[in-house]
Amino acid sequence: MIETLRFWAIVVLLGLGVLFTFVSTVGVIRLPDVYSRAHTASQTDTLGAGFALAGVAVAFGWQHAAVYTVLLLFFVFITNPTAAHAISRSAAETGVEPILAAEGEDGNETEGDAETDGESR
Amino acid sequence: MSNDGRQEGDVVAVERLLVPLSDTVTVRQTVGYAVQSGLEAADSLECHLVVAMPYDDDSPESDRYSDDADGLLSRAQNWVEEDAGGADVTIETTTLGADEYLFGPRDYAEIFDAYADEHGIDRVVLDPEYQPGVTAQMLQPLERELDRIGLAYDEAPVDRPARRGRLNGGAEGFDRLFATFLISYGFYLLLGDPTYWFDLVTGAAVAGIVAVSLAQVTFTLPLDRVQSPLRVVRFALYIPYLLWEIVKANIAVSVVILRPSMPIEPTLTRVNSRVRSGLPLTALANSITLTPGTLTVRANNQQLLVHTLIPGARDDLFDGGLERGIRFVFYGRKSAAIASPRERDDAEIVGGDEL
Repeated sequence: MIETLRFWAIVVLLGLGVLFTFVSTVGVIRLPDVYSRAHTASQTDTLGAGFALAGVAVAFGWQHAAVYTVLLLFFVFITNPTAAHAISRSAAETGVEPILAAEGEDGNETEGDAETDGESR
Repeated sequence: MSNDGRQEGDVVAVERLLVPLSDTVTVRQTVGYAVQSGLEAADSLECHLVVAMPYDDDSPESDRYSDDADGLLSRAQNWVEEDAGGADVTIETTTLGADEYLFGPRDYAEIFDAYADEHGIDRVVLDPEYQPGVTAQMLQPLERELDRIGLAYDEAPVDRPARRGRLNGGAEGFDRLFATFLISYGFYLLLGDPTYWFDLVTGAAVAGIVAVSLAQVTFTLPLDRVQSPLRVVRFALYIPYLLWEIVKANIAVSVVILRPSMPIEPTLTRVNSRVRSGLPLTALANSITLTPGTLTVRANNQQLLVHTLIPGARDDLFDGGLERGIRFVFYGRKSAAIASPRERDDAEIVGGDEL
């Protein structure tokens, strides 16, 4: 009983991890510029890696290796925002203009020039 | 140098000096030099003694600093009177910067310059060990900034006692050593096996080496035997809250990304946070970046330039939940209850040219 419960817990956790990683990938492809892509790239690290590592911890069970996964997550949580900030800041310093929604309307129309600004050299 | 202009009339030449004070071993000599050189340059001296406050008034540390500042000013006033003997010396004492945060040398240089303009100061006399607040010594960068602004300054020639050992605060040094030892030993045992004698012994040895060699550079804030452990506990309480915020934001952003119409509304916002620079600000900026939908692009002193992806995330940011969390971690529960950035007018949407 406990074993099947644990099995399904692992499956659900890994599934959620894969789901958020997938969403993040879709976001990186769909979003218009480097700044908004940095938002969604951090999803992989926070919930994607978070759920996957939680699944790993459950799979290991109550033993020492489970501590390592928590520790791993802790370091991911420190390095992820640092990297995201470094990317966006260097983008700002090299003069990449963010695509901003005009005051009061939705940002839908920005999708048109998605490929040009986001990947400017 | 002040011979032209001012001395022409029958007015007595007055030399106006600005002496920024901080609690150093050489502050006494600096004051002495200021009085002596000022009286050499002119018949009478107006000596402005100022203490620059690193924190503004609502900052939790501010009380302790203003008490220290008052003590230092009254001591310095006695020194000036003592050194002046019978000469004509006027003393003004003030604390500067109580209504704003001061960070880098530039901020200090600017408030000194503003003060100098207001009071017609001829010259600034700097203490070579000048060290306002908790930041490191900053004489050189401060001199550079004063050069840039064009304010005349003069470094007091003091006899420095043999460099004071950094371990001289006995209890403080021990606390650092002990805390570094504890942290590194704990981490070692977390990786190793706390029940195995070999790991216990090697861990103690390694932690000992780490503590002795790195204790001086590990902590940027002075440790407090009650507050520092309390901060760790409060940080542990903050983590579940942060995780919950991350999950909420992740779901909100995922929904937006997966919608075929993708209703994003990217904006650039500026938030003036009410946490101190250094570790608290880093923690806040990182927490903001960790929650998808908000991304710290720049952290400039207290000003955070945050890129937000969806309106919901922007509202959360302006409501300041994370800021309260960080204030709770570093300053305690009472300080956490502050108005949100929106209510105190510290949050605004800015255009892309702010980058």
